[in-house]
Amino acid sequence: MTLKGGTSQACAACKYQRRRCSSECPLKPYFPPDQPKMFQNAHKLFGVCNILKILKNLDADQKTEAMRSIIHQANIRDQYPVHGCMGVIKKLRDQIWFAEEELHAVLLQLDMYRQHYQQQISSSLPDDVVPSQLELGMAPPNNALSLFNHSPQQQPYNAAALQPIAQQHSYSNNSYSSTYIDSKDNISNSMWIQYPYATNNNNNSMAIQSQLVSGIQQEVVHDYDELHPFFDTIDDRQSYIDSKEAYESRYTLFYIFNIPESTFMIMLVVHNSVESDINSVIFICSSEESLKDTTQSMEHVAENELKSAAACFSLTSVN
Amino acid sequence: MSSSSYSNSPCAACKFLRRKCLPDCIFAPYFPPEEPQKFANVHKIFGASNVSKLLNEVLPHQREDAVNSLAYEAEARMKDPVYGCVGAISVLQRQVIKLQRELDATNADLIRYACNELPSTSTSHQYGSRRTGGQGGEGSSVDQNSGYYFPSHWNNDGHE
Repeated sequence: MTLKGGTSQACAACKYQRRRCSSECPLKPYFPPDQPKMFQNAHKLFGVCNILKILKNLDADQKTEAMRSIIHQANIRDQYPVHGCMGVIKKLRDQIWFAEEELHAVLLQLDMYRQHYQQQISSSLPDDVVPSQLELGMAPPNNALSLFNHSPQQQPYNAAALQPIAQQHSYSNNSYSSTYIDSKDNISNSMWIQYPYATNNNNNSMAIQSQLVSGIQQEVVHDYDELHPFFDTIDDRQSYIDSKEAYESRYTLFYIFNIPESTFMIMLVVHNSVESDINSVIFICSSEESLKDTTQSMEHVAENELKSAAACFSLTSVN
Repeated sequence: MSSSSYSNSPCAACKFLRRKCLPDCIFAPYFPPEEPQKFANVHKIFGASNVSKLLNEVLPHQREDAVNSLAYEAEARMKDPVYGCVGAISVLQRQVIKLQRELDATNADLIRYACNELPSTSTSHQYGSRRTGGQGGEGSSVDQNSGYYFPSHWNNDGHE
C-alpha cells in the first residue's frame, strides 16, 4: 500500500490536488499513485476534508481499517450511484433469505430420507410397485417430498399446498407412503436423482385444479454473482402454459436436484385424467453459469402434447 | 418524497446551510424541514457539495433512492466511524458463506441418503441452526476477487 521509494512520487491524493506530497501526508499510505481511480472515488463521495475528519479521532490501527472501509464504500458508490451500499446490503439479505429457504428445504428432504431409512430398517418394503411411467432413470426412495406424494390416505390437495415452492418446507405432512418404486439398480448412471411420484393415473388423489397452479408457477432466479445490481437478482418470469383442459388435469411435482452443483430442479408432471396420459415438463435450472441462462429441457414421455402448466423454481446457491 | 414548501420554511439543507431555499433547490424534495438530522448527517459525512453533485448525476426519479441510501450510509458512518455501513456488508457476507457451507454439507448428506448409503450424522447438529447464521467464527480466507470485504481482525475472533 505504501509508496515505492517515498521520496519522489506524490500519492494519488496529492497528485489529484496538484500539491506537494510531503512525508507527513496523512493519505499517502492509503492512496498509492498508481491507483488514481481509487482516490477519485473516495474523493467524489467523501472528499479529502471529510476523510481527514473521520481519520482524525482514530488511532493508527483504526485508521487503516477506516480507510479500507471508506475506499470500499466509495467504490461501491461508484459502481451503483443510486443505491450504493444499501443496494448491496439488500442483495445480501435477499441472498441469505434464499439460502435459508433452500437450506430448510434440503434439511426437510434429509429428514424425510432419514425417516425413510428408519422405515426401511424397521420393516420390509411392500412390493406393490407402481410402474415407472417416466423412465427418466433412477427412482430412489419416493417420500422425499411428501406434499406431492400419492398418499395412501387419498388426501386432497388444498390451496395451502399450492403456494410458491419457496415455501415448500411448510408442505410436510408426514404422510409417508411405501408404495413407490425402489430402483436401487438405476442409481449408477447419473448424478441426477429423481423422485418419481408418478402415481396411478386412475387415482384422483393428485387432483389439482388448474387455476390453483398459478400459486406454484413462480419462477425465481436468484443471481448470486457478487455485486450485481440487486434489483436484477430476482426474476419472476413465469412459465405457465395455459391449459385447455383445466379441470381435467392433475399434476405431480417432482423434486430433482443435483447435489454437487447445488442445483435444484422441479419437474411438474401433468396427468391428463381423461386420456390417462402423462405429459411431463422438466425445467432445469443450473447454477453453473448465470442463473438467468436457465436451461430448459422438455421431455415428452407420453404421446400426447403438452397440455398444462409447469412450474419451475430454482433454489440455488453460490458456485 | 416529501417536499418542503418553498414559500414558508426552507428545506432542511438550506436551513442548515443558512441560505435561501429557491424553488429549484435540489435538496428541497428530499430533505424536508421536519428531518433536520437527515441532512446534518449527510452533510457531515459527505458534504453538501458532494451530495449535490451525486444527485445531479442520477436521474430525477432515482434521486430519492440515492438520498435515502446516502442518508443510511451517513448515519452508519456516524455510529461507526471505522466501518460504517461496510461493517454490515461484511457481517452479511460472512453469513452467506456460512449458510453456503451448511448447505453444501447438508446436500452432501442428502446425496449419501439418496444413494442408499449408510446414514451420516455429520449435519444432524445443524437442524437447530436455522436462521442463526452470521455468528462469525469461520475465520476463513475469502476470495478477494469476489469483492468481499473482510476487516482483517474479523478473520480470527468471530466478531459479529
